[in-house]
Amino acid sequence: MSTYPFGARSPLRITFGFGLVVLVVFAIVPAVAVFLISFTDIRGLPGIPVNWVGLDNYERFFSAARIGYNVNALKNTLIYAVVSTVAINALGLAIAVLLNQKLRGKTFARAVVFLPTILGVTVIGLIWSLFFNPSAGPAATVWSWFGADSAFFGDPNLALGLVIFVQIWAGLGVAVVIYLAGLQAIPEELYEAADIDGASGGQRLRLVTVPLLAPSITANVLLAIVGSLQSYQLAYVLTGPNNPATQLLSLAIFSQAFGGSSTSGLGQSQGYAATISVIQFIIVSVASLLVLIYLRRREARL
Amino acid sequence: MTATTSTPRPAERDAPVAARTALDARRRRLIRPGRIVNYALVVIVVFCYLFPLLFLLNTALKSNADFFANPVGLVTSPQWANFGQAWVQGNFGAYILNSVLYTICAAGLGTAIAVLMGFPVSRGYLRWPRLWNALFVVMLFLPNALITQFQLLLRMGLYNTQLGYILIMAAGVGVGPLLIAGYVKSLPRELDEAAAVDGSGYWRYLITFVIPMAKPAIATVFILQAIGVWNDIILATILLPDPAKSPISLGLYAFQGTYTNDWGLLAAATMIVAAPLVAAYLFLQRYLVGGVVGSVKG
Repeated sequence: MSTYPFGARSPLRITFGFGLVVLVVFAIVPAVAVFLISFTDIRGLPGIPVNWVGLDNYERFFSAARIGYNVNALKNTLIYAVVSTVAINALGLAIAVLLNQKLRGKTFARAVVFLPTILGVTVIGLIWSLFFNPSAGPAATVWSWFGADSAFFGDPNLALGLVIFVQIWAGLGVAVVIYLAGLQAIPEELYEAADIDGASGGQRLRLVTVPLLAPSITANVLLAIVGSLQSYQLAYVLTGPNNPATQLLSLAIFSQAFGGSSTSGLGQSQGYAATISVIQFIIVSVASLLVLIYLRRREARL
Repeated sequence: MTATTSTPRPAERDAPVAARTALDARRRRLIRPGRIVNYALVVIVVFCYLFPLLFLLNTALKSNADFFANPVGLVTSPQWANFGQAWVQGNFGAYILNSVLYTICAAGLGTAIAVLMGFPVSRGYLRWPRLWNALFVVMLFLPNALITQFQLLLRMGLYNTQLGYILIMAAGVGVGPLLIAGYVKSLPRELDEAAAVDGSGYWRYLITFVIPMAKPAIATVFILQAIGVWNDIILATILLPDPAKSPISLGLYAFQGTYTNDWGLLAAATMIVAAPLVAAYLFLQRYLVGGVVGSVKG
């Protein structure tokens, strides 16, 4: 603790305490309480007694009646996370390398790629619903050139892929900006030295760019994994909360807790939904820790 | 990594100017054949992002009959009335006011919290500095707490109130306190002492020195949180069932549910929501991009 020069400490304590109280009450307590209520039968309506039920909710998650639904949600979530993480990072790096060169209009291009981050899920959802609208839209027109038609977001085989596509489209901006910042920190001399040594374009990328970009890669991969394992707003806006083809774990939390597949007449079983939340949290933590350890090791080796 | 990427060899660093120019010329020549390809790639990327938006604008100016007759054709007789109709039928004025209220209050409160907590923690003016730093990091990795936030507001009597929603959104400070704490490190500590010697109290110092000096970081924190609040749809669905309190994101979503197949109107409504964001973005771009980068490095 360093010396506090301002005399009376009470102003410091009052304002710091105010911030702390808001964070603890409205963010930390709810986060911790998720674990607690996952062992109860709490419901969405007030005034109903709440009972401890031990591990019942967890048994229910793996019960024969539910396992199909849950495995489907889990499978969709993993596909969603893996595909969007890989694509966002590969394309993001490629676009960043492209925009890091001396080209006219690169600032404009960067701004355009970042734009979806600002527009938000509802607007993005509407833009792509319009684009992929089955009766008349650019995608339907392109399909018709090949004599095909499709229900797009209504087609169970295609819906998840399309939601992933939109997620990639929307998520690239942040990745590109982070990669660009990393690229700009690489000293130009290294490329000059590589040129003198006769390195080809591919070698420059592999031997100079990628190793020096390792911290940005770690940050981007982690952001994409954590974001995509927990994202559901796009699937919600594009295909609704109860579409089995795009059922994601976080969407299952929402529909179990607040609507859709009702389990009883007494309001939704939020204790069970909290259980899904806990399971999701465990998956997100384990996945990001493993990836973090792997990427840090690689960083150290390079 | 081999010698390829080490610092330039002395011979090269001391090379005469003529040799360096020759080197530059060689570099330029090496890049040139790729330039056309590069420009083509940039055009493709920009196209992928602008085309859906332009298609939206094109659709927004069509009547429904026009749209179904030829959905991808360019608009021939612009239906500006779509915008007025969407504005009135979607009640967007009221929703936008709600969103402005939520965004300013929640992001404002969240940013204030980030400053009030980030500054003293960064300076080490509090006991248990490591605990507070750990708290800031934990704020980034909280589990999905929709259910308990709902239950909390229900039990506090704040369910379906604007205040409750604002408090929940404000508490989602994310990277804010970390960013402020990081930025404060770059401000000279001597200034704190000098101001204190001159008789400034803690609060006056915060207002007259810290806030003006940390303006770039504060703006970034505010904008990052404001984007999150403005775009939220799930928490608003859960915590604000009264449609009169809906933010614009929810209003637009409901509008889509009502006018499912009236694409001209839907597109106009989407443009109404998107236009102010795009306009704000043009002004704030500098802070935004810097903020994303800062939040990762911080």
